[in-house]
Amino acid sequence: MMSHPLVIARKEIVDGLRDVRSLVSALVYALMGPVVVGLVSLSVHPGTKGGTTVLAGMMSVFTLVSAFVGGMNVAMDTVAGERERRSLVPLLLNPVRRVDVVIGKWLAVCFFAAAGLAINLAGFAVLIARAGMAPPLRLAPAAALGLISLPLLAASLQLLISTTCRAVKEAQTYLSLSVFLPMGAGMFVVFAPPSAHGWCGLLPLAGQQLQLEAFMAGSGTPTVQALAVGCLTAALAAVLLLVAAKRLESDEIVYGN
Amino acid sequence: MIRIQDLRKSFQRRTVVQDLSLEATDGAITGLLGSNGAGKSTTLRMICGVLEPESGSIQVDHRCEAEERQNRLGALLDHNGLYARLTVRENLAYFGRLRGIPPESLPARIDNTLAMLGLESIADRRAAGFSQGEHMKTALARAILHGPQNIVLDEPTNGLDVHSVRSLREVLMRLRNAGKCILFSSHVLEEVRMLCDRVFIISAGRLVARGTPEELCAQTGAASLEEAFVRVTL
Repeated sequence: MMSHPLVIARKEIVDGLRDVRSLVSALVYALMGPVVVGLVSLSVHPGTKGGTTVLAGMMSVFTLVSAFVGGMNVAMDTVAGERERRSLVPLLLNPVRRVDVVIGKWLAVCFFAAAGLAINLAGFAVLIARAGMAPPLRLAPAAALGLISLPLLAASLQLLISTTCRAVKEAQTYLSLSVFLPMGAGMFVVFAPPSAHGWCGLLPLAGQQLQLEAFMAGSGTPTVQALAVGCLTAALAAVLLLVAAKRLESDEIVYGN
Repeated sequence: MIRIQDLRKSFQRRTVVQDLSLEATDGAITGLLGSNGAGKSTTLRMICGVLEPESGSIQVDHRCEAEERQNRLGALLDHNGLYARLTVRENLAYFGRLRGIPPESLPARIDNTLAMLGLESIADRRAAGFSQGEHMKTALARAILHGPQNIVLDEPTNGLDVHSVRSLREVLMRLRNAGKCILFSSHVLEEVRMLCDRVFIISAGRLVARGTPEELCAQTGAASLEEAFVRVTL
């Protein structure tokens, strides 16, 4: 017999896959990066080193954002949407711990967030191949160590936001703002002095951005550092998830006021 | 059997339920009556373990822990949303899995519940666009799928047409005759008179009267249950 989180995750994934409109919008978001960066790099300096520099510089922010948009609709629907449709209380009537409810929903959001990230990376891989660039693949595992934790963080943050909202519309407002978080981290890294890049490399989001930039530049990141930022990001995701579970235990969730 | 003793609950310094005690026995339909805001839904939510009482005790088949109570309860509360992109069968299967019904017996259990409520014709339809009657019956099917001994219903006939009310009434009587304990809240006093073996009336979160519909009429000297209700809740 499946555990409660897996039962919930399975249902949320099936439900999410049937929401075709949301899937299309998530797909558009995921592929927006490769398309925009492709157009910019080709139109500015087609076939030159300048074009590939634009591509290498812009890719990281779009990739970080894709991890945040892939699961956004599901995160919105799965708690705020359930409250709005009045199906959350029937779920809580079951002998299931609230933390298991949150973990199940989180697994489903992670699934969609990871899919968004994977589609984005696949799009960039095609673009990179077409631009004739050859980033060192031997450095890819280290970059992946940090990136893997991104959907976990995005899902936790979005689920926490969703538990604080009473309706889908309200959740949509705040979840859309959450997409600016990786953009902000990207800008922070751009404007921070190079001397600060050492400790920035350990910060969630900024660390992944620096790893991606280093990967595209062919220099790579030390595996220990990549692992450290991955672990720190996953730890932050766990904390946010526990806060979301605590929030689900409040009377306000049941009453909606 | 559901028994609550000296139950109390407040929200934002407003006391919604205070010193409330009542008992719903097996093989009987117990009515919980009260005006809007009297504390009926809050009481039922506390019994069902989705809200924590401030003080007092709740027992369901002599079990006090929320999880143990939930194991022995099926409930249809005022929040009864379905998953619109899932079929009736899928909606039920999801809750059956959460209830721990073994996978090998789940399909048969679902078929039996669908047959009991006459839902076979819409079993494989997605819940989006259901009529109020179809929605309510599906939500009731979800509440009784695991065969709970105790059933809690919060205004289950709200928004239903005459045919749906009649069929719901028949289902409740069948469940009562099978020995189930049914705790039922409603605003429709005629329905309460027809269905309930025992009635508890609450006002401003406090118990103000109890007894069979006939006893309540006799206690208040009223000719009808409606008149008796008005007299004790004024």
